[in-house]
Amino acid sequence: MPNRRASRNAYYFFVQEKIPELRRRGLAVARVADAIPHCSADWAKPTSTLLGEPGMLVPKPSVSPPDISSLSLKSDQALLGGNFYFLNIFSHGELPPHCEQRFLPCEVGCVKYSLQEGIVAEFHSFINPGEIPRGFRFHCQAASDSSHKIPISNFELGHDQATVLQKLYRFIHPNPGKWPPIYCKSDDRARIHWCLKLMERDSEIRQDLELLTVEDLVVGIYQQKFLKEPSKTWVRSLLDVAMWDYSSNTRCKWHEENDILFCALAVCKKITYCISNSLATLFGIRLTGTHIPLQDYEASSSVTPKMVVLDAGRYQKLRVESPGFYHFNSYKQEQRFNASTGDYPCGVKFSGQNSTVRGRGITRLLESISNSSSNVRKFSNCETSLSSYVPKEDGYKSFSSLS
Amino acid sequence: MSGRARVRARGITRSLGAVDVGRAPASPSATSVEPGDQEASSSSGLVEANIIPQWDKDSVCSGDSGQSHMERSMRMRRDLMDLEISTREKLAHVKDCKTGSSGIPVKLVTNLFNLDFPQDWQLYQYCVTFSPDLASRRLRTALLYNHSELSNRTKAFDGATLFLLQKLDKKVTELSSETQRGETVKITVTLIKELVSSSPVCIQFINIIFRKILKKLSMYQIGRNFYKPSEPVEIPQHKLSLWPGFAISVSPFESRLLFSADVSYKVLRNETVLEFMTDLCFKTGTSCFTQMCEKQLVGLVVLTRYNNRTYRIDDIDWTVKPTFSFQKRDGAEITYVDYYKQQYDITLSDLNQPMLVSLLKRKRNDNSEPQVVHLIPELCFLTGLSGQATSDFQLMKAVAEETRLSPLDRQQRLARLADDIQRNQVARFELENWGLHFGSQMSLTGRIVPPEKILMQDHVCQPASAADWAKDIRTCKVLSAQSLDKWLIFCANRAEYVIESFLSCLRRVGSSMGFNVGYPQIIKVQENPGAFIRAIQQQVNPEVQLVMCILPSNQKNYYDSIKKYLSSDCAVPSQCVLTRTLSKQGMMMSVATKIAMQMNCKLGGELWAVEIPLKSLMVVGIDISKDAFNKDMAVIGFVASVNPRITRWFSRCILQRTTTGIADCLKVFMTGALNKWQKTNHDLPARIVVYRDGVGDGQLRTVMEYEVPQLLSSVTKPSANTSSRLSVVVVRKKCMPRFFTEMSRTVQNPPLGTVVDSEATRPEWYDFYLVSQTASRGTVSPTYYNVIYDDNGLKPDHMQRLTYKLCHLYYNWQGLVSIPAPCLYAHKLTFLVSQSIHKEPSLELANNLFYL
Repeated sequence: MPNRRASRNAYYFFVQEKIPELRRRGLAVARVADAIPHCSADWAKPTSTLLGEPGMLVPKPSVSPPDISSLSLKSDQALLGGNFYFLNIFSHGELPPHCEQRFLPCEVGCVKYSLQEGIVAEFHSFINPGEIPRGFRFHCQAASDSSHKIPISNFELGHDQATVLQKLYRFIHPNPGKWPPIYCKSDDRARIHWCLKLMERDSEIRQDLELLTVEDLVVGIYQQKFLKEPSKTWVRSLLDVAMWDYSSNTRCKWHEENDILFCALAVCKKITYCISNSLATLFGIRLTGTHIPLQDYEASSSVTPKMVVLDAGRYQKLRVESPGFYHFNSYKQEQRFNASTGDYPCGVKFSGQNSTVRGRGITRLLESISNSSSNVRKFSNCETSLSSYVPKEDGYKSFSSLS
Repeated sequence: MSGRARVRARGITRSLGAVDVGRAPASPSATSVEPGDQEASSSSGLVEANIIPQWDKDSVCSGDSGQSHMERSMRMRRDLMDLEISTREKLAHVKDCKTGSSGIPVKLVTNLFNLDFPQDWQLYQYCVTFSPDLASRRLRTALLYNHSELSNRTKAFDGATLFLLQKLDKKVTELSSETQRGETVKITVTLIKELVSSSPVCIQFINIIFRKILKKLSMYQIGRNFYKPSEPVEIPQHKLSLWPGFAISVSPFESRLLFSADVSYKVLRNETVLEFMTDLCFKTGTSCFTQMCEKQLVGLVVLTRYNNRTYRIDDIDWTVKPTFSFQKRDGAEITYVDYYKQQYDITLSDLNQPMLVSLLKRKRNDNSEPQVVHLIPELCFLTGLSGQATSDFQLMKAVAEETRLSPLDRQQRLARLADDIQRNQVARFELENWGLHFGSQMSLTGRIVPPEKILMQDHVCQPASAADWAKDIRTCKVLSAQSLDKWLIFCANRAEYVIESFLSCLRRVGSSMGFNVGYPQIIKVQENPGAFIRAIQQQVNPEVQLVMCILPSNQKNYYDSIKKYLSSDCAVPSQCVLTRTLSKQGMMMSVATKIAMQMNCKLGGELWAVEIPLKSLMVVGIDISKDAFNKDMAVIGFVASVNPRITRWFSRCILQRTTTGIADCLKVFMTGALNKWQKTNHDLPARIVVYRDGVGDGQLRTVMEYEVPQLLSSVTKPSANTSSRLSVVVVRKKCMPRFFTEMSRTVQNPPLGTVVDSEATRPEWYDFYLVSQTASRGTVSPTYYNVIYDDNGLKPDHMQRLTYKLCHLYYNWQGLVSIPAPCLYAHKLTFLVSQSIHKEPSLELANNLFYL
């Protein structure tokens, strides 16, 4: 469809955003033209403080280069032990720009994570979205149906916004002191920011959270470690994989029970899985059940073998020697890695075999695998844990591909 | 995967397309209350204005209606905009003649009617200004028409623009009148343009005249089409009624303006929203009634019969009752009950019903708050078919029986419409007033191009019917096939019983077509998507050639998650089958044959070919669709042939953030395809023919000026001294003309391979129609091809026959398809990505038809 609208300048949009506020002030403004005289003064003054006002929010996604100092990436050790918070807030769709209320927050998920420890703590709550703007029920319902499927009204699990925000802030900041930076995916940043501001306004809590993007964090960690900048596309593809979609203990209880993929908590957790899987291995951290959902793989390969071979004789030659999980892209991927980082294999450190293993029964799994397997390459997915058994060049393979 | 989707992709059920089916999807453009509709209805409102109760809490007015009307009435219809682009004049080889020559001539009847004008017919367009300005259009009209200069002339006035058939004496006429209140108003009538019958404004004007005429024939405009509520077709067993009607338009064809009409149906449910609510309340009880009500009703499209308009239910307002009052446009307060009594003479029976809320489309992009309309449930009839209804086979069959008209029925309806227009006094008067004459139905001569032979490995077969050659090639070997040695079957525990017989069938049909299917490894999993995905993640490794999943249900979750993982995270071709499909014993052989062919293609095999005389020719198909989740994302599919025989394909797909259906990334695609071609053939293709599907009305200029240069720039690489020659063809599945063959006093669908390249085409384009599909029931619709760029200089005849040959090459169907195979492949690819994967599929799969 061709754009039949005449081109509009920045001032037009500025005025457009101002109109709801002018109306609140009781001015009779029906159109942009009416509002222009009331806005000229505001246009002249700098508008850095506008973000507090709803209706003119939706900030531009941050494009500034990652601030390494804020990541406290001073040393490997600090980086490994440092806590990162990943946050996501879901909304019942996005309302058109002329509405005062742009989003209806309905679910919040947040995890505390460190490279060393994996997921340390998690926070999840449903939010009561409040009254749906008149006439937008269909819009919101359709948005919800196509993603998280949270009921738009009368949802008994929803808590009121003030309580949720209070709990969330207590989760992020339990003790007095400096607030940690919070990370989210760049695509979600505008929404999360808007929702936080909305909830703050309703609960009269003021806290300017520093909301940074995960993409920048990954770039930062990578730069810190290998002194090279990875491509944005690579980072994006690293964070955007489908393989954890159905992992257990990833979605919130409600989404898990209803078997719905879109869950605010799951988004946060999947970010940490991806980071663990690709970056933590580079630091030589042993992956545990808190880094990635290893328990799924343990359960299905050792407790209830799912593979049944019908008519065994005929299939003999095709039978795989032992059940295993393998991701074949990884080898190629590693080469790509090598190419981009050059010296990185020497930076890989492996922790000793006798270090404590976290997670659920992972040692048993690893033992069973190492005992049953003669071909180590097949299990390259959990190779860091197996590092002592494997030749060095296989040792740095990550759990899965990044393609 | 889903049979219905496949059939739709193949285009066989297209004849049902005229029916308005379905619950409004999330996309506003797909509902029947689309902006176009409003535009059409407002431009037709030359004479009367529709008033609907509008109730605005903040009473923000959307500006004066007179001004907006003036702006809109002069806006051009989108398809007329396309006509301004003359592509033919740049193509030297078709400047004089664009008709082909081969084939047997066939006489065809069309749904086009002649429209005759006197020799020197002209229309005079005047601009009318009032001083002081008057808001009411009715008042303006009354004042203007009172003048003797105008009273006895043929005229039309929309509040600002006046059309006359005869010229006024002076270029600027000053008039003066007095209103009832005694004000003196000065009227200035200024001549703007003298319009000949082929000018766009004039065409639009004639369209409006015909819309008026159809209203005179007691038809009502709903959306863009006209329906006759007085002759409904009832389907009582499903509580449905169908209103018969027509889609009409007047547009310029090869030599003159023609009137075209096509039959259309409006599906209505014989149930008001209030009845639906009462019924629901009875069923569910009062406790969760409001919730259930909102769940079931919100999103449906309703029709209010008092003004025959459609609205989407956006919300239900339980706090407002019909006895409440609202403010009319003029500021007066009135209750809903009284309003309907006064305006439409309708007495409401239930004074306690809640109100439905509908959000009106904003007509102009100003900053006014969205306008909402309150509607009375008692007066709203449900329209369209809900998702539940469309999956009801019996219901759809009943609807299809009524709406899929055979060519003869269709022809009879058209004849009756023509008859009505010619006989009706008022209609005739209107036409004669404007000097128009409604002529006879047009017939023309088309050609049936010779049938094609299907080349198999060691056999050339001449199919008995080009529509389906499954029987003819049953014993033939396919062109090439990889042996399938290492593959996996994942199935749910309960579905184990189907595997044994299916596998033996698959191996049998495989060996007869030369496709060696080895024994798979079978993995049983629990019946949930998570279990499937986990098992696949564990078992799939690089040696695996193909993964087959036998799914317990057609729940979207299974298919989506499997395809998402296997097409982007871990690139292995995958084949999903439903347990239900495999448990039909009688169908097993044909099911296994289809699956074996698909699997072969997914592994990179070739099935059949047709004879292509052009050496070193690359054909390309491009299609665009919207992502199902994110409407701002366009999914662009690109499929190019990589061998001279046109049996192997290179497929790519990119997601692009855009609101228009225009591709940005064609250069990347084309360069990739050319590299691939060069790698396999050690040379660049001499000719490239691109078929571009998915071009909407009014987008032709953008395609011409934005997409063609992208393709050109990648074709003419500086390194090569001989560059490939490029042709770009726009493919349209929906077009107005229909063709029938006359046979012993009855009419039939035209035979396969019928080409029409005269009279029903456009003078400024190099275009033709091709019938390459069969309709077992109903009327076939031809596919329209418009060659917008052509360096190859192929004779029109060759272009038409090449297009016809390409319709034979779709490997998912052993027969002809409605559009060239590359286009259908591209469509299939975008469909998979927009519905299931939502991201770019892995490049490793680009050489296989993994999306079949």
